[in-house]
Amino acid sequence: MTRTSHTVSFTLNGEKKTFDTRPDEKLLTLLRREGYRGTKYGCGQGTCGACTVLVDGKATYACLLYSMQAEGRKVRTIESAGTFDKPGEFQKELIAAGAVQCGYCIPGMVMSATALMESEKDFSDEIVKEYMDGNLCRCTGYEKIWVALRRVLDRREAATAKRPVAGKKTSSKGAKK
Amino acid sequence: MKLSEFIRPASLAEARKALRELGPKGMPLAGGTALHFMQSKTPVTAVDLTGLGLSFIRRKGGFFSIGAATPLSDIQRYRSPRWAMHEICRRISTHQIRNVSTIGGNICRVFPWADLPVVLLAMNARMVIYSGKESEMGADEFFSSQPARLFSGGNLLTAVKIPVLKAQHGFGSVKANRNAAAFSLVTIAALLELDGTTIKSARVAAGSAIPFPKRLPEVEAALVGREAVTDVFKKAAAAGGTAAKWNVREGMSADYMRQLAEVSLLDALERAAEFARGRVD
Repeated sequence: MTRTSHTVSFTLNGEKKTFDTRPDEKLLTLLRREGYRGTKYGCGQGTCGACTVLVDGKATYACLLYSMQAEGRKVRTIESAGTFDKPGEFQKELIAAGAVQCGYCIPGMVMSATALMESEKDFSDEIVKEYMDGNLCRCTGYEKIWVALRRVLDRREAATAKRPVAGKKTSSKGAKK
Repeated sequence: MKLSEFIRPASLAEARKALRELGPKGMPLAGGTALHFMQSKTPVTAVDLTGLGLSFIRRKGGFFSIGAATPLSDIQRYRSPRWAMHEICRRISTHQIRNVSTIGGNICRVFPWADLPVVLLAMNARMVIYSGKESEMGADEFFSSQPARLFSGGNLLTAVKIPVLKAQHGFGSVKANRNAAAFSLVTIAALLELDGTTIKSARVAAGSAIPFPKRLPEVEAALVGREAVTDVFKKAAAAGGTAAKWNVREGMSADYMRQLAEVSLLDALERAAEFARGRVD
């Protein structure tokens, strides 16, 4: 049996890292302590989605994951999605759509959308809502976030020629019901 | 819950041994989401079960076998003919939670809002328990009281076996909640076996609005031997309304909860009948 030392090693944004930790330290706390502060502390109880990171490509609340559970896994934070000078595709659309007010929810939104875009080929409204249902925004009412995301997804669908953008029925309303 | 240590056993036997030795100071961990909300005065040692090959879904013989550490999102995405577990898993919490929470975590320590015990009671599932060797226990016995009682000696749930539904079987589940991610107010699950248009057998269970998930024998009795039609379902749902003591919830009266349960029962029965008639979504 492996009684773990109080360190954890995992791949963080493509780099192998080892951190000192405690068994009851949350991944969110560790990330922010180590300077990855794009991942936000919101509710701390797995409701708001501000702390969403990808663990082995799956969207996960960092506030509900003990840091030790990340051992040997691939963790990606918002810092991997883009920078202020070079924002990612969805981040650009969020800016263009005026979808960011306080901005606190945006890192989590971007990470959930990243999981969606990397995991799915079908970007129907139902699938998109499923991936985004764990991220709350209390400023925008979701519409502009939804518009920004749909622009990205519609472009991707058009690029893969699975469905043409013209005539595609998508809703700019009702991202959350 | 505070963790003082975190250990990774290499086998089921090691995990059981560790948990036996630790007693109340040990806690099995798979997804771990529930641990964040459990209170304990003293820190516990987490025994990580995620490296023991308990995450799988297989069809073998007349059962789908789901590993105890299988995340809910995997169950939600799995598809096979006569498979119905995705329906309720899609309704549990949020995408991020479903990616981490496991079927074992959902049923080994039943919280009042848990949905899967209701479904597994209706499905007549069988739980595989490791106690040095594997044995099976039916859902009725497993959920006769808090299942945590079965694991105090270090025993572990390894899999859940769901009977493959036959052509004349229909399953329906309904979860009523305030919003998509909220805990359930009422969860209902129904399994109907039809003989032509007649209901040959029925298993109906409820949860969340009652103190602990349970079958509703009054509803089942009102169904068996009768036609699978809306009027019969309405009468059976009404029998369910008076069969249990429905809890007051979040500003909602017990009478409102009873009505919500009756409507949910009707919906679940209609969905089960549709399934038996060929609904596949």
